[in-house]
Amino acid sequence: MPYFKTSKEWYEQSSLLLKARPTSTRITSKYSVLKPSSSKIKKRQKYDDKKASRPTEAPRATSPHPPPSTQPQPEEVTVTFTLKTYDPDSGTCLQYETNKGNEVSRLVGNLGKLGRCMAGLPEVIVDLSAPAAEAKVDEGGDVNMGGVAAAGKADAKAGGGGGKKKKKGKK
Amino acid sequence: MAREHLTNDEFFTQLANLFEYTRTKGHGSVYLTQKRMTFDTSSTPPSPTKFADDPLWDTHPEEPLPILIRASNNKSDKKKGTDREHIDKIKLSTLVKPDGLDAFYIRYVDACKVGMTGLKKRDKKKKKTTKKKAAEGETKV
Repeated sequence: MPYFKTSKEWYEQSSLLLKARPTSTRITSKYSVLKPSSSKIKKRQKYDDKKASRPTEAPRATSPHPPPSTQPQPEEVTVTFTLKTYDPDSGTCLQYETNKGNEVSRLVGNLGKLGRCMAGLPEVIVDLSAPAAEAKVDEGGDVNMGGVAAAGKADAKAGGGGGKKKKKGKK
Repeated sequence: MAREHLTNDEFFTQLANLFEYTRTKGHGSVYLTQKRMTFDTSSTPPSPTKFADDPLWDTHPEEPLPILIRASNNKSDKKKGTDREHIDKIKLSTLVKPDGLDAFYIRYVDACKVGMTGLKKRDKKKKKTTKKKAAEGETKV
């Protein structure tokens, strides 16, 4: 029951599994918001106290330290998004877990591509139609998740080519 | 047990409600499942003899099959001494026809993006530095 390190790996393995066993394989995605248990809260508090009591000499130099503001509160919920491909016939189970919001649209887009394999649609059409739709969605996501306006401008100056190349690499 | 499948439109409204419900509650999970619909469809699986002839029949179906999409939350029981309430299980399901798959997933992506709040935002600072580096690299090349 492996957890893959990258979503790409998960996608490749899942698509292989789907090709081999398209009828029995199912993909479950779980979005979960968990309240930390009391022991977890204690642990976090302890950690924070420890950090606060330590002499802060290192950050005095050049690097400003943002952590104090971004440090999670002890009672903060844990939000995760887990993808699981499971084939009950062979018992294969492939998993990937993330806590990053900007990955969701890409991952669900991947689910769509895998859905085509599931439906038994030819893959050739995937190459023609799906990437276009994907790209549109991704761009929308970027705007929403928000890149800062300044970052967007910088990107435009640097030339869209570089950005696009990068995105492709991620997929 | 026989639940009707919702239409795609209804499914999306209900799914939005389900996410909203989890959000107002402050914790909980939403499960989304997709699998090939093989039961009770026009294209029935081949007979056992044919199955024996071609054990991999399902890798190349004669015609594209619909996909079943399910969504549910977690049931929970009231527990004494905690603030846990009794919550009924909410289950939704819909069938997506092969020709409507792409359109469905475009909406699905949006629904998930809107519904799944609380996940970590992109690290802006880190990104800026990488962008700079990339730009520098480009000018050199």
